[in-house]
Amino acid sequence: MFQRLMAFLLFSLMLLPLVSSDETKSSWNQENSQAWEYDFGAGYISTSPIFVDEKIIVRTSGHSEPSVTALELDGTLAWEHSNLNSKSNDMSPLLAVESGEGACGVWPDLLLVGWTDGTIDALHPSNGSVYWTAQTEVAGWGITGAASVSQDHVIYPTRRGIGQFCLADGSQDWWVATGLGWRNGVSVYGDSIYSGDELGTLWHVHPAGNATALASFQGKIRHAPLLTSAGLLVHVQSPMDSTVFILDPESGQQRQQFLAGPSPAVPSLQGQYAVVADSQNLRVLKCNDTCSVESQIPFHTNGEIGWHIDGQIIAPSNTPDSNWGSFIFEDGQNLTFEFIDVGIYGYGTAAPLWFVSNGVNYTAFGNDQSVLHLYQLAKAEETERSENFDWATQGIIFTAYVLLGSSAIFILSGNRDLFLRSSSLLTVLVLLLMAPNLSQLWSEAVDQNLPASTTEDWNDDWPESWLGTQIVIFEFDGEEVAVGGLMGHDSVYALTKAAAEERGYSFTVEETSIGIYISSINGVQGDGWEYFVDGSKGRVSVDNVDIESTSIVRWTPV
Amino acid sequence: MFQAMGVHGPTLSPFASLVLDAALLGVAFWLLAKPTKRPIRDTLFLAALVLSVSLIRVVMQPLPNIQPVTVAALLVGAQLGARRGAAFAVLVAMISNFFMGDGWWTVFQAAGWASIAVAGSQLSLVTPSGLNLRRAIFASLAAAVWFDIIVSFSILDGTIGFVEFMTYLLHGVPFDLLHMAGNLAFVVWMGSWFCNLLEEQPSLEEIEFAVVNGHGIDG
Repeated sequence: MFQRLMAFLLFSLMLLPLVSSDETKSSWNQENSQAWEYDFGAGYISTSPIFVDEKIIVRTSGHSEPSVTALELDGTLAWEHSNLNSKSNDMSPLLAVESGEGACGVWPDLLLVGWTDGTIDALHPSNGSVYWTAQTEVAGWGITGAASVSQDHVIYPTRRGIGQFCLADGSQDWWVATGLGWRNGVSVYGDSIYSGDELGTLWHVHPAGNATALASFQGKIRHAPLLTSAGLLVHVQSPMDSTVFILDPESGQQRQQFLAGPSPAVPSLQGQYAVVADSQNLRVLKCNDTCSVESQIPFHTNGEIGWHIDGQIIAPSNTPDSNWGSFIFEDGQNLTFEFIDVGIYGYGTAAPLWFVSNGVNYTAFGNDQSVLHLYQLAKAEETERSENFDWATQGIIFTAYVLLGSSAIFILSGNRDLFLRSSSLLTVLVLLLMAPNLSQLWSEAVDQNLPASTTEDWNDDWPESWLGTQIVIFEFDGEEVAVGGLMGHDSVYALTKAAAEERGYSFTVEETSIGIYISSINGVQGDGWEYFVDGSKGRVSVDNVDIESTSIVRWTPV
Repeated sequence: MFQAMGVHGPTLSPFASLVLDAALLGVAFWLLAKPTKRPIRDTLFLAALVLSVSLIRVVMQPLPNIQPVTVAALLVGAQLGARRGAAFAVLVAMISNFFMGDGWWTVFQAAGWASIAVAGSQLSLVTPSGLNLRRAIFASLAAAVWFDIIVSFSILDGTIGFVEFMTYLLHGVPFDLLHMAGNLAFVVWMGSWFCNLLEEQPSLEEIEFAVVNGHGIDG
């Protein structure tokens, strides 16, 4: 009886792929097919592309040549505009402004680009030429948040304040000091301008440029506040979790609050519905006189959330080897979820771009892999499988199936010795296939459940502008070289790479089956390198360690 | 653990590495320094065994924590005894690490496999009818955990506290499972064959001596 039961279980395991094959092809994937791919070679796509003047415009950064690139609809390069001085991750979303005129002058169609070196470039979307340029303050970083247009002006968040600039010539009307900000977008509602900062202060700025602190929270505000009918929505980030606050937009008085998970995403608003998300859940709030959570689904996203006008929400899952999540919000009630496979995997914070051209619906996706995939709404055709066929993995899976079937047959026939042989080999194969993901998930679970026992102390010699940022320390021959002011890096690998590039250090890695191994830094290989995150010795591969926005990573030669 | 890529503990200078290797070699020779009737044959056999298992370890390096040496040490200990088993473990650790990376951790690997060989010699894994497979399976699974714990001690360089060490061990659990699964496969597939290979065959002189001695007793 036991033998038959075991054989039944083993044969049942063989049916698993039939179940998963139905699940893997999402409804979105069935309706959309890939039109083309554009590989930028290096850098991150950290913010959503935009569609202007029949061109898809993408910004890439975090590498040696931060750029804004315009692509034609067929995927060919139209133009490229670079800013070699912008050394850090550019996260300020691109902003398209239609031509117009106002008290300060006349302007054509513009593409506004804010850079981390404090520059604002107003480009002609048709050819990428510069219409005007303005320079804002830099304190470690320049512009990292979303700008907003107010009549004939654009309002940009700078590192320590907010400035208003004329759309016609880029001249600065005013600049007012607020607090040290990062990804601190600005929103404009009537005569009120709102923005938050890293100290948790919500600022209310009047059109004349006077700033007042409207409210203060224990945490960081890293998005443009949203005005719902129930009040001003602010998602405040704390070290271990976050809180969504609904405030009186005039007095800043707190009306409601909802506890949420760590590392919140940039919230999005459409009519009476708001979407907030974090590393644990994506929630839809319905806001009338008050806000209430309509629905929530476990999902890990930390960047922009795309919300199509037809109700579809798509957000990048910001985890290694991850994909995008698609949420359909029907009739204001049912929130359904499915993963969609857009063929780009890994960390991501950029929302997708939806646009229509010549009656065809397109969706563009980009993430930290520096690749843009354009999909068009059509019946997906059979793709050429042979191009991406992984013979090694398929061979192992085939072998595993043979062993699985053999194990079932051997146990049925009572051949214990052969059953042990086939099942033991099967166990090894399955564990080897699962090892990278299993070890990462396990490490994350261990890290979440065990508190860090050590810390890396702040060095008083470091510049104040590094406060609240990510810092990397390299040790060479007993001397420390610190690189700070870094932001937005999700893993030890990404942060170390950025620090090495900023310092001009060469940097070699080895890719293995269980992750990335950094073999030399600045030509120093020695017996290897060890890393510490906030004082705790690194235990897994550098691409599998999630870090905080204020983490200090130390590299020590062994 | 991973970033260090097997690199644990204090960094050793070239001289310290030399002393360490000399000490390990000394231990191996001391363990082998026992009168034997067939010195050349025994030495050649052990050398071939050490070299082949070292080669297998080097070749299997890309498979994370699949350690053929653990089962080999267990069975060598069971068949050839604690001394030769421990010597085998020390030599395999040294020779394979010559290709895979030598250092402070070699001591712990050698100690781990040597202790497994000693345990193998005490666990009655081999009976007159051959390898006791059930017992060998349990021993190989336990040996995987034991070896991983012993080797983990090599990270203790004075900067790591108890909680951190336990966290380190917890992080390694998936790789312990791999080690256990690998051991299980080795025992099931190769255990009996390897045991037969190691079985000491009496020489012609020994057979003759036994026969004559037997006749003498009979007489």
